[in-house]
Amino acid sequence: MRAVDENKQIPAAKGVFTWPSDNPQLIGGKCRECGAIFFPRYLPFHKPNCQGQTEEVLLSRRGKLESFTIQHYASPPPFIKPEPFVPYAVGLISLQEGISVAGMLTGMKTDDIQIGMELELIIEKMAEDQDGNEYLTWKFRPVSKQPHE
Amino acid sequence: MRQVAVIGVGAHPWGKFEDKTFLDLGVVAVRNALKDAGMEWTDIQALVSGLVVFGGNTGFNPGQTLAAVMGETGIPVTNIWNMCATATSAFRTAYNIVASGERDTCMAVGLDMSPRGFLPALGAPDDRQSEYLRWRMMGLSNPGYWAMECRKRMIKYGTTERHLAKAKVACSKHAVLNPAALYKKIYTEEEVMNSPAVCEPLRLYNICATRDGAAAAIICSMEKTKKFTGKPIKVAGVGLGSSLYGDPTLRLGYLSCPTEGTAPILSESYMSARMAYDLAGIGPEDIDFVEVPDNSSWHYLQYLETMGFCGPGEADRMLDEGQTMIGGKLPVCPSGGASSFGEAVAAQGLLQVAELVTQLRGEAGDRQVDNAKVGMAQTYGMLGNSAAVILNR
Repeated sequence: MRAVDENKQIPAAKGVFTWPSDNPQLIGGKCRECGAIFFPRYLPFHKPNCQGQTEEVLLSRRGKLESFTIQHYASPPPFIKPEPFVPYAVGLISLQEGISVAGMLTGMKTDDIQIGMELELIIEKMAEDQDGNEYLTWKFRPVSKQPHE
Repeated sequence: MRQVAVIGVGAHPWGKFEDKTFLDLGVVAVRNALKDAGMEWTDIQALVSGLVVFGGNTGFNPGQTLAAVMGETGIPVTNIWNMCATATSAFRTAYNIVASGERDTCMAVGLDMSPRGFLPALGAPDDRQSEYLRWRMMGLSNPGYWAMECRKRMIKYGTTERHLAKAKVACSKHAVLNPAALYKKIYTEEEVMNSPAVCEPLRLYNICATRDGAAAAIICSMEKTKKFTGKPIKVAGVGLGSSLYGDPTLRLGYLSCPTEGTAPILSESYMSARMAYDLAGIGPEDIDFVEVPDNSSWHYLQYLETMGFCGPGEADRMLDEGQTMIGGKLPVCPSGGASSFGEAVAAQGLLQVAELVTQLRGEAGDRQVDNAKVGMAQTYGMLGNSAAVILNR
């Protein structure tokens, strides 16, 4: 067995976003008949009386901030608490598909968060475990910011 | 449907009771309701109990277990779960059992014990469930959902942090008049606005705590109420609602919602209230006082609009003008509400019913709403649940 000398990156849940990808997207669902769009894929919505088939749809990577909260405490498991824990923002982002999706906000100070600001989706580390495995989730960051790496 | 009445109500005090079981709490509520009605356990012809989701297998079968403690009589027992709307849903089922003529008496009971702190995730990990993913992928707590809806409201209507504080202050002023309230202290707006941030814009004193408790109500056909000494209060209407397609609320436990709604926000509560009004044959203007599920200051304000007591964005003004105080146009949460009791999830709705009965009997003491003739209560639950009840004398 070879020693693992790099942190392993693990999506904290499977089938929720496209990964690995240079342009990751959330995996939602859409009804072929009534056009209802939803996220995640396995929580279908239909207009009343529609019995259409739903299909996978990749959601827009960009949207506008509709609302947000700054959460000041760490939720219990299955959330993986980042160390050190600092208050963090979760936002509701409206997409051109006509739905809004929830996600952590990143790449800015909480004081700089503005309603209506344009955001884009990235996949980023949420926390790591004792073995150094990095757990990834989707987050939204200001469009103007470029990756630091 | 025939006319029925609530003939007895009872509760176990709200609090944290680590040396007791949920059964201990439930039995106290059952016995107090029987005493209030002037009934024996053997007078109860059917039982509807809310589930206790933190109570293991017994918690999924609490009605039969309560019956064992009270003495088994072979009556029909139904156990139900509609999230935080459970107790009011149990009340509705009990109402239907008696109003339909199936039985002459039925008891509804809600009992609850939950872990300390914010309610955690339940169930096995499942990457396909939004209710799992919201915890797993962003640690989004229940107050986090309320906070995001609250901010939408602040943007849309100009609701301020001071309005949020005022809702807490209003409830606290009622709570000090209620001997049964758990938190009996009048808060100032500054205390609320300076309390620790939990999920901004909501602060600690804008959010109700989770607590343990149990409450019960006995429904009796009107013609049989004379057999018992309890003072009957008529059930005017009950409602149970689920969500409407196109509701733009980021519903608790979900991760997406329509950006522009084609239905009212909190549509499950909109629907349960309308159903109760329809069955009662009255409207919001006929309600003398209301118990709303004030899980947060945002709920307090939003429900006044959702239940039709004022137009969109007008609840702030009702609060500013003191209309929601005892003595005002529409006293809101004369009991002190969930903000002064804490929330015992599966029992809360029946605590509200007990307050309606106490007020309508004119037995509410210092917190008595003058000339209270029609009272309404509503509880909402995550994932699209709400139940409502209107009582009159």
